Amino acid sequence: MTNLPWNRHHIISLADFIPAEYDSILQTALSFQGVLARRTKKVPTLQGQVVANLFFEPSTRTRSSFELAAKRLSADTLNFSPGSSSLTKGETILDTAKTYLAMGTDLMVIRHSGSGVPATIALEMDRLGVGVGVLNAGDGQHEHPSQALLDLLTLCNDLNPEQPSIEDLRGKKVAIVGDILHSRVARSNLWSLTACGAEVHLAAPPTLLPKAFLEAFSAPLITPTGQTIERKVFVHWQLLPALENADFVMALRLQKERMSGHLLPSLREYHQQFGITRDRLKHCAPNVKILHPGPTNRGVEITSDLMDDPKLSLVSKQVASGVAVRMALLYLMGGAKH
Amino acid sequence: MATDSPSTTSPSTPSPSTISPSTTQVIRQASIVGLDLGLDLGLDLGLARESGLEDAASDERVNVEGTADVLIKAGRIEAIAPTLTDLPADTQIINGRGQFLGPGLIDLYSQSGQPGHESRETYESLSRAAAAGGFTRVGLLPNTEPAVDSASVMAAIQRANSATRVSSAALAAHSAAPENRSQLLPWATITLGAQGKQLTELAELAAAGALGFTDGEPIVNRVLLRRLLEYMQPLKKPVALWPCDPNLAEAGVVREGPQALRLGLPGVSAIAETTALATLLECIAEIPAWVHVMRISTARGVALLRQAKAQGLPVSASVPWHHLVFDTQDLEGYDPSLRHSPPLGNPADRQALIAGVADGVIDAIAIDHSPYTYEEKTVAFDTAPPGAIGLELALPVLWQTFVSGAQSDTRLSPAQLWQALSAGPAQCLGLTPPRLAVGSPAELVLFDPNAEWSVLPENLRSLSSNTPWLNQTIKGKVSHIWTPTFLAD
Repeated sequence: MTNLPWNRHHIISLADFIPAEYDSILQTALSFQGVLARRTKKVPTLQGQVVANLFFEPSTRTRSSFELAAKRLSADTLNFSPGSSSLTKGETILDTAKTYLAMGTDLMVIRHSGSGVPATIALEMDRLGVGVGVLNAGDGQHEHPSQALLDLLTLCNDLNPEQPSIEDLRGKKVAIVGDILHSRVARSNLWSLTACGAEVHLAAPPTLLPKAFLEAFSAPLITPTGQTIERKVFVHWQLLPALENADFVMALRLQKERMSGHLLPSLREYHQQFGITRDRLKHCAPNVKILHPGPTNRGVEITSDLMDDPKLSLVSKQVASGVAVRMALLYLMGGAKH
Repeated sequence: MATDSPSTTSPSTPSPSTISPSTTQVIRQASIVGLDLGLDLGLDLGLARESGLEDAASDERVNVEGTADVLIKAGRIEAIAPTLTDLPADTQIINGRGQFLGPGLIDLYSQSGQPGHESRETYESLSRAAAAGGFTRVGLLPNTEPAVDSASVMAAIQRANSATRVSSAALAAHSAAPENRSQLLPWATITLGAQGKQLTELAELAAAGALGFTDGEPIVNRVLLRRLLEYMQPLKKPVALWPCDPNLAEAGVVREGPQALRLGLPGVSAIAETTALATLLECIAEIPAWVHVMRISTARGVALLRQAKAQGLPVSASVPWHHLVFDTQDLEGYDPSLRHSPPLGNPADRQALIAGVADGVIDAIAIDHSPYTYEEKTVAFDTAPPGAIGLELALPVLWQTFVSGAQSDTRLSPAQLWQALSAGPAQCLGLTPPRLAVGSPAELVLFDPNAEWSVLPENLRSLSSNTPWLNQTIKGKVSHIWTPTFLAD
């Protein structure tokens, strides 16, 4: 794990990640999967380092995953959550970050309901020249890189359990179905999957999937060596064309508040039109697998029995991949320099 | 001064301590911006636009290089000639070589923090910031706390003006001379508290010296809009309206489009502007009130205005200056100072806005100065209050972007830029434009396009420093400004 291509100090967006970087993350995460399968699931990689989880937006699952990842790497962890914060008392987002900086934080894992906050804090850390890395754990409707990367690991593990590689994704068809417009998971997955050569087919009603998604996410990726990678993105306002021969179907969570903005007539109609059912999966490739970033609205975006079908659902594997991938990211950002 | 009434607050008496009638100054060999060629003749804009400095150079009052000596005596322009000689011995000589001399700039609408948020900006700091940026007069938005919805609140601004004095002091940071201040022209609100519900006492406010009427916010109620336009007809004051349907704008913070999707920021559809604009234009077609369309921000909005003007509708329009310089592609860093309302356009919007300024469909560039404190602006992009400061930055940045620099496909001549910042806004407001002509009051700006300075809080006269240029070095600085006292109506 010593000569992997990696020179990022922060992970904010996957927009400019190149295949070699995805490969680095995948290979590192696979090694940590090995560690996690051992009796002693802990390595001393980040011993003495402080990882601060600044979760301005409440989250239990992602925060727990990051906390466990940091602990498996022997880092000391600090947790910030808004319930115990002074944010409502006039403290700015930078004040909070600087407080944790003063405590000797080496890596900041940041989640915020506002798009761009991790980027802003990363800029400030660079301006201060303190060498603190920032990892975006989900910002507004912008990105959720670690989720997309654990999805990547999950897909590669599924495609080739013996020797997973991002090469296996080339030409695979991935359907992402649901509230694309408001999804940071969809955005990060768009960048990672298309960069690795997969075709991404988005499906939702037009209110949740503006046409401009096509233009927004299909600009070719230019690598530092000048290589051009075309991104294959497709927009569907009906479900079946997206499912046709799909190798993977990712359903996104549909927030109930979308009803109030006239984005959908009803959850019932949404399920009728875009719900993932066993019947509809017949249009997909024979070995199709289902993903969901969770938490799921059973019976809305996906029927309950599909969620629990181990032959079809990769949902629990996604959760398990999460720890290994987050260990890999913390290692690459912080541990690798020691 | 509770007994102050509008009739006693203006005109203010010139203070002899800051203006000496015997002061004589000569500005040597500055480039003359457009002279008075068409700059003050609304209908003759084409000439000024095409001619720029070259035509000015053919004027017998300037050299072939378009430079001249300008003599100012007792607050008036006494002479303009290629070279002035035999000047009185005590004449103060200002070297204008390499600089541009033009009429004072006029801002249509900017926001003060006072009253209500004096930590953002006061009348005093705003007035000084405006003068430092070349603005001799500034329209003050009335949606403060409390709002300028009565003659008594307005009188406070008029009193602040009486502290405004002329001086030709250099704006050098260590100048011992009194600092210049711009004249503050108070807009009054259309509705009580700018709440959009009940009309203010429009006739009384008009008589008390309101510049015109605006809420600084969209007027949503169409019945109120119609009655307003009808009622305003005899009052001879402009109504500035921001075409925006807040229901369609929803909670958007950036212009809808691919970049908004990539950034994951909620978008505002252009139809929030264009449907409101179409409604307004239809109203004006029926009710020929004096309307100024503020904050035009979309390509389609410019097209609707072009069409309306071609049909002869009596409407003028302005674009906030940030929208000419930035677009959604500049939002990668989520700088809260680039959050504006209406939001910055997509690249095609910006190009259409620039073209609108160049061909005169957009009459004026507004500064829409919106000061906020550090703690108010250091929040997530989507929760930041919209707006940025601009009075001290607009002229240098616009000059650098459109006149001297090659940062835009569309270039503007010095005369075109000046038109949009001086005579244009004056005409939108029905004010006499400042003129660079013999016999005119000396309401002038001497601008050095090559002077570099750092945009740091300590170098800004504004109390706030919410600007995307903070901590950067920019080129261009107003070196002298002449702000006459007798401007008060």
